[in-house]
Amino acid sequence: MILVKKIIEKYILTVGLCFLIFYLLEKLLTGFWLTLFLLFGINIILAISLNIINGWIGFFSIGHGGIMLVGAYVAAFLTIPTSFKAGIINLHLPAFILNIQIPLLPALLIGGVFGTITGIILVLPAIRLRGFYFCAGTLGFNIIMTTLAENFPKITNGPMGLRDIPSYTNIWWVWGVAIFLIYITLILKKSYIGRAFISIGKDQYLAEHMGINLLKYKIYAFGISAFFTAIGAILWIHLILNLFPTAFDLTFVFNVVTMIVIGGMGSISGSIIGAAIVTFFVQVIAPIEEGFIFFGFQVPQALGLTTVFLGVLLIVMLIKRPEGIMGDREISFNFLKGKK
Amino acid sequence: MNYFIQQVLNALGWGSIIALLAVGYTMTFGVIGLVNFAYGEVFMIGAFAAYFAVTVLNLPFWVGILTSLIGAIVIGLTIERTAFKPVRGSGMITLFITSLGASIIVRNLSIMFFDDNLKNFKVPKFYSGVYLFGDIIILKKNILILLITITFCIMLVYLVKNTKLGIAMRGISYDSKISETLGVNTERIIIITFIIASFFGGIAGILWGILFGSIRASMGAIPVVDAFIASVIGGVGNVFGAIVSGYILAIGSSLFIAYLPSELVGLKPLFIWVVFFIILIFKPSGLFRANIK
Repeated sequence: MILVKKIIEKYILTVGLCFLIFYLLEKLLTGFWLTLFLLFGINIILAISLNIINGWIGFFSIGHGGIMLVGAYVAAFLTIPTSFKAGIINLHLPAFILNIQIPLLPALLIGGVFGTITGIILVLPAIRLRGFYFCAGTLGFNIIMTTLAENFPKITNGPMGLRDIPSYTNIWWVWGVAIFLIYITLILKKSYIGRAFISIGKDQYLAEHMGINLLKYKIYAFGISAFFTAIGAILWIHLILNLFPTAFDLTFVFNVVTMIVIGGMGSISGSIIGAAIVTFFVQVIAPIEEGFIFFGFQVPQALGLTTVFLGVLLIVMLIKRPEGIMGDREISFNFLKGKK
Repeated sequence: MNYFIQQVLNALGWGSIIALLAVGYTMTFGVIGLVNFAYGEVFMIGAFAAYFAVTVLNLPFWVGILTSLIGAIVIGLTIERTAFKPVRGSGMITLFITSLGASIIVRNLSIMFFDDNLKNFKVPKFYSGVYLFGDIIILKKNILILLITITFCIMLVYLVKNTKLGIAMRGISYDSKISETLGVNTERIIIITFIIASFFGGIAGILWGILFGSIRASMGAIPVVDAFIASVIGGVGNVFGAIVSGYILAIGSSLFIAYLPSELVGLKPLFIWVVFFIILIFKPSGLFRANIK
């Protein structure tokens, strides 16, 4: 009973503390810093959900952009005001989609479910590919989804994209989902399912001999990953407020890949650290891209500088410390004391 | 029927570029197991070197060809030394991600310096003009590009099959450690492989300039993916297979577009990826024998 009481106290304390911190941050942060904090949260969601595939299962996916695109389009059509949808002439969608506008939570769930279905459709053929062929196949999935979104204007409004997406994203949504995801992945890592994932990543044939149903657990992993990836993408478009077919292209996925490579594949704390580093550098370098005056000397515009910087960071990291900052360890009290 | 033949003939120029790039891919893949996504940037730098020599500095065309080849080889070797050498041996996926990173770095840097607008690529008058056979139009430059490609590919196939260098390359492709114990200078052979691959990239860059008459900083993105798929379909490491499947892919996607309703023309990338998935799932070793060049 004492144990149960202790656990209850621990959870109440943690949740209360989180509430307090977010309440204070909501009051304190404005403008640039608020956006930075929200992007940080979204990047955590994207990085951890990609890490479930790339770090745990050991299949290096760079095709999550396609999943994000599906989730984002589904949710965008549900939350965009009906007046905007009526303004697009050549949109041929069922009338009930054109006539509804729903709040964020159902849109998140519906988008997430569609993302999950897409992820499972992706995994069924891709599961037969090994190693870098899987990489290439998922890259192809990404390109196929972007191409489809660009070339079927009757369903997606084509390269014109969608605008007028309502600004629903705030600290509570982003960090609520992020903390929930961190919590369930930490639990998952110690549970049977999570250990099955990790053992598939270490050696899938050995895992199969130990009685793990490979197909089933790969589908589970892709389902979880795709669901949260889609949710991250939906939160992203409700922050950026527009959606184009090229929004989640290879460059976007490359940023997320950089996060998990820097942080450490298979480590949740590593993903958080990687997300923090990448978000911070991207947002700090972004003003430099626009060009500025340095001691009377006009520094010219340099678009694409952030991507170059991230690429350099990724390559240096792969050369100097291929396992990332955290490896596959987690930050815990024992870790802070220096124990393994 | 004329329409069909016309489409096939039109695809030959594009197919040659894909075939040349696929050869470069297959060389680096066969020798060190590297899927070099930065290869598209080698190709792009080759085209830009020729552009600067011929269009900006008004030098004769053969100087343009020379600068293009030198530029491509320099950038190819630089990427190999700085990015690939330190991570060699740490797995295919690490190499793949590194090459992706290198590709994105070089592409964004060149967009930063040269911007991403189309640039006019000046070619000698000799290359323009058409032959007419009844209803069928054959562009002179397509024939020329085809001949150049075939010549270089035959030279490469001869080199790989019959010379000592080619035998050393094939040896490393089978097992680099054993061939090193047998007295092959692995490092030197790898550098030579990269030089050959970059050479083909530079030639493909010039041919792109001749074919389309304009170049841009992000032009490496599309042919690099096509060429990669061509090299996989041809059986990785197989030079002859890469050439043939480069042409097959180009002609196939050209016909795919030709018989599709006109509003769906943008679906061109879909064709090669569908072919890629079908080949990988039903015949993973490619259409031709893999690993024997």
